[in-house]
Amino acid sequence: MTEPHRAPILRLEGVTKRFPGVLALDAIDLDFSEGEMHALAGENGAGKSSLIRLLAGIHRPDAGRMTLAGQPYAPHAPLDAIRAGVRVVHQEFNLLPALSVAENLLFERLPRRRFGIVDRRAMDRRAEELLARVGLGDLSPRTPVERLGIAQKQLVEIARALSTEGRVLVLDEPTATLTPRETDRLFAQIRQLKAGGMTLIYVSHHLAEIFALCDRVTVLRNGRKVETLPTAETDPAALVRAMIGRTLAAQAPIGGRTLGRDGGDGHRDRREALRVAGLRPIGAPEGGGLDFAVRAGEIVGLAGLVGAGRSETVRAIFGADPRVSGTILRDGRPVRIRAPRDAIAAGICLLTENRKEEGLVLQMPARVNTTLARLGLVSRLGILDRAAERDATLRLAGELATKLSGPEQKVIELSGGNQQKIVLAKWLFGDGGGASAQVLMLDEPTRGIDVGAKAEIYALLGRLAEQGRAILVVSSELPELMHLCDRILVLSRGHLAGEVARADFSEERILSLAYSQYMQTD
Amino acid sequence: MPSSSSGVLVRRILREAGIGLALLVMVLFFAAVAPSFTTHENIANILTQITINLILATGMTFAILVGGIDLSVGAVMALCAVIAGTVLKQDSLSDPEAIGLGILASLLVGMACGGLNGFVSSFWGIPAFIVTLGMLNIARGGALEVTNARTIYDFPDPFNAFGTMSLLGVPVMFLLALALLGIGWLVLTRTVFGRMIYAIGNNEEAVRLSGHRPLVTKVLAFTVTGLFVGIAAIVYMTRLTIANPILGIGFELNAIAAVIIGGTSLSGGRGSLVGTLLGAAIIGVLANGLILMGVSDFFRQIVTGVVIILAVILDSYRARLSLRG
Amino acid sequence: MDRRTFLTGCAAGGALALAPGLASAQTKKPVIGLVMKSLANEFFKDMQEGAVKHAQERGDLTLLPLGIQSETDIDGQIALVENLITKKVDAIVIAPADSRALIAPIARAVKAGIKVVNIDVRFDPASMRKHHIDIVFVGPDNRAGAKMSGDVLAKALGAGGKVVIIEGNPGAENGVQRKLGYMDAIAQGKLDLLDSRTAHWETEEANTVFSNMLTAHQDIQGVMAANDSMALGVVKAIEAAGRKGKIKVVSFDNIPAIQPLLQDGEVIATVDQFGAQLAGDGIDAAMQEIAGKSLTGWTKTELKLVTAPGS
Repeated sequence: MTEPHRAPILRLEGVTKRFPGVLALDAIDLDFSEGEMHALAGENGAGKSSLIRLLAGIHRPDAGRMTLAGQPYAPHAPLDAIRAGVRVVHQEFNLLPALSVAENLLFERLPRRRFGIVDRRAMDRRAEELLARVGLGDLSPRTPVERLGIAQKQLVEIARALSTEGRVLVLDEPTATLTPRETDRLFAQIRQLKAGGMTLIYVSHHLAEIFALCDRVTVLRNGRKVETLPTAETDPAALVRAMIGRTLAAQAPIGGRTLGRDGGDGHRDRREALRVAGLRPIGAPEGGGLDFAVRAGEIVGLAGLVGAGRSETVRAIFGADPRVSGTILRDGRPVRIRAPRDAIAAGICLLTENRKEEGLVLQMPARVNTTLARLGLVSRLGILDRAAERDATLRLAGELATKLSGPEQKVIELSGGNQQKIVLAKWLFGDGGGASAQVLMLDEPTRGIDVGAKAEIYALLGRLAEQGRAILVVSSELPELMHLCDRILVLSRGHLAGEVARADFSEERILSLAYSQYMQTD
Repeated sequence: MPSSSSGVLVRRILREAGIGLALLVMVLFFAAVAPSFTTHENIANILTQITINLILATGMTFAILVGGIDLSVGAVMALCAVIAGTVLKQDSLSDPEAIGLGILASLLVGMACGGLNGFVSSFWGIPAFIVTLGMLNIARGGALEVTNARTIYDFPDPFNAFGTMSLLGVPVMFLLALALLGIGWLVLTRTVFGRMIYAIGNNEEAVRLSGHRPLVTKVLAFTVTGLFVGIAAIVYMTRLTIANPILGIGFELNAIAAVIIGGTSLSGGRGSLVGTLLGAAIIGVLANGLILMGVSDFFRQIVTGVVIILAVILDSYRARLSLRG
Repeated sequence: MDRRTFLTGCAAGGALALAPGLASAQTKKPVIGLVMKSLANEFFKDMQEGAVKHAQERGDLTLLPLGIQSETDIDGQIALVENLITKKVDAIVIAPADSRALIAPIARAVKAGIKVVNIDVRFDPASMRKHHIDIVFVGPDNRAGAKMSGDVLAKALGAGGKVVIIEGNPGAENGVQRKLGYMDAIAQGKLDLLDSRTAHWETEEANTVFSNMLTAHQDIQGVMAANDSMALGVVKAIEAAGRKGKIKVVSFDNIPAIQPLLQDGEVIATVDQFGAQLAGDGIDAAMQEIAGKSLTGWTKTELKLVTAPGS
């Protein structure tokens, strides 16, 4: 251990948490030293979220004890945790959309004048300070939260955690929605907090971030602690092995190894399964719009910064949102797409960014979700054939290696990766591959999914492309796109800034294209 | 969602059991304290008394499952009844013609009002609560306008006869309500339309992005609610042999109460017609039993209110259990 | 505002006493606001139509008929009275939705010089004294009427006859009076009252409530219903229980829908309070007041017992 031994500020001893049917945390012993930055790593379901919920006072442990600065720490409610100086920035936003940024930031302790009247000026001043600390200095504190973008909301959430004097700050996937520039800004802020003596607990799937920021890392697997190591004494590969407890078949999801397919040139003569001409999604800038094509058997990436119009583009092709203009051609023939149903009829599918809100009916069984898009195949005269539905669900679960207790399992009970596989099953059901195969568009397909499931999804996409499907992937993670794609289209401020062929893949190349429109106009 | 897989079936029985158990306890209690409660006549009475609410609640279940609600059912029922009554009183028609056309008129008026509720609320994205509140006034005003506030009576005898028919001691109108409930159950659990209702009630956006038109399903679901209102209006008329424009005041609240007590979630997507049947039975048994016990009217109302709240509390526990799986 | 009302009143009063021709040439016709209860109720609808007809026949006044949404919309009725005060009508004829809640606004109307006539349900005398007003009441004696109807049942059953009462809305004055009238008949006829419950004036509820009473008390011989709509539901329940002809019903209101049942003898008596004429009588009283005559107390209107042809 290279770290000088410092007193633990937060200590967990034999902490256990049981949910019906699941042992979420199994006798965890863990020390967090004062002023350190400590990462929690592990696949989804490893127990990271449960641990955070215990710290935040949302759940209480069934056994074991926690001590904070030598005092017993047993929060009964989130407010107890906040009072004790433990703040948690959750992955899901807990902001009140109709209220202003300032009101959200200072909700727990609004500055008051006499008679309980809110002192708006003091509130705005305090809010501006907090916003400046997360690099949102130009944002008016009076802006309603509902008008913010997703990245801004994330930063406001962090600023809110900073509004009270805290000793321990827990950050749960804080960069999931941030652009590289925002991430850099956040890291600078985090380093500053750490320098100020704050203890930080950092949860992230991004191993690079863990190694860049954290002093130590604790790996959890199936509710148990595997090990705690100084980051200086380990490396990403070892960490992944510790997290999954097995070696991945399709190794190195991050690092640019090929999927064992040809370099991308082999698709030149294939037909264009999808072509868009002059496409301008709603909110697109003036100009000629986007022109590009995806050939059958090809995986094409769509890269760009947050706000570049990637999701808007695929949503416009799918008919999920209206478009300003543009023609969509399928196998060379123009198709009229005004709603998702038109796109699906033309064999164009979209796996949306938010699978819980837009991709799945969470409270319903896997069976219902699997057949949702093609009920015609499992019904006659409007009467459902449930046996056929169950067969299809099990068959697709087998093909995609979805972990399912049965076709009647509710998808809300599944892990993120398995949920994503159900969404994929929905689009693959009734699509046989080959000449009739469809255009599959995926928007952030691996967001919030653990490493093991990521690798499986990558392999799956490779297989689907080989079967002749045309695949268009939107992702904020460049290594992911570079790993998956035959070529990458780069969007910048709604314009197609360029295209990079696999042979020329490099982060610098793609990023410089992604920033190109910002350089020109600023 | 019901299913034939045995594990889910067991869980579903457990889920439904709470409300069934409550009904059983209630029945045993009244049987013990009010001897006349279990007589054949009284049971036939209870079945007759819950019939109209059961029909309305069956229709209401469709609107609530799809994420809406229909506050206009009582008023629309009055409109259906007075229009059907007006048709029935046409001297130029023979009895069979008048009865056939009267029934048809009631069903069509109910479906039109329901469909309009569904269309206005989903096309313009207005909460069904507000749209159907508007429809409540439109229909009530319409019923008063049609009749000039008069009671319509003296319908053809074969029409009135239906209200008192019984089969092996069971009121035929209750059997009709039960058959309608059964058909409704099959539609909800076995058809694409039913699947769409549950899915939209849970996550309308996911359904739209899976290539469906939620608007169509929602309009149809409200139309079904209206159809059941039209049927209830006819049953009401045969039972009481009159139709007046102020009938059905507050019936919507009883129907909603039956659906809620039956465990259907007010936010849509979760619940079943089996629950609705139990809910309607609980309300009917409670009203009947308390009168037999000689409990005062005012206390009766208090008890009914307490039962509704208890049912919702029970439901919130169930929801939490089902979340944990 | 007071002055004009005052002048109109003087002119009208003077005209009656001195020179009718001159006065009618100089002044406009007096305006009378008729404040009704729910026009969804057949009874009040008839009353209002009768009043409009009556006003046309008289030809010497302008009538403003107004109604509220439901029987219990007391607020709505108060608002109507306030509007009429603002409008400076000459007189208000009112069927109050509540015998006490309407007194305060009516006292304001009186203070504003508006003549007020009370019809249908009588204002509470004690509350009137508190506000130092004495409004004339033109209306039927619901209690006496109900007793007439109840007496028919008492006579038909004889002493010891077992009866139940189906009440109107709890708290509604006419409902309370009718129940008292039925109780008078029961006391005098030495009947045995088994149960008394509300069915909120409604047919379907009366049907349900009475079916359940019948289960609890198999030996019911007679029913006293506080209105005809509820009697309709009671009769259906009797038929459904197979007791047609064995249980006798008396009722109140004499609406058209009850006629076939009277013919059949299933309902043996009801009471006609000539609702259509009631508002007309109120208008006549208001015109007398405008003419300067001061009316107080209770002007009882006609009640007629309607019995089945056979009984």
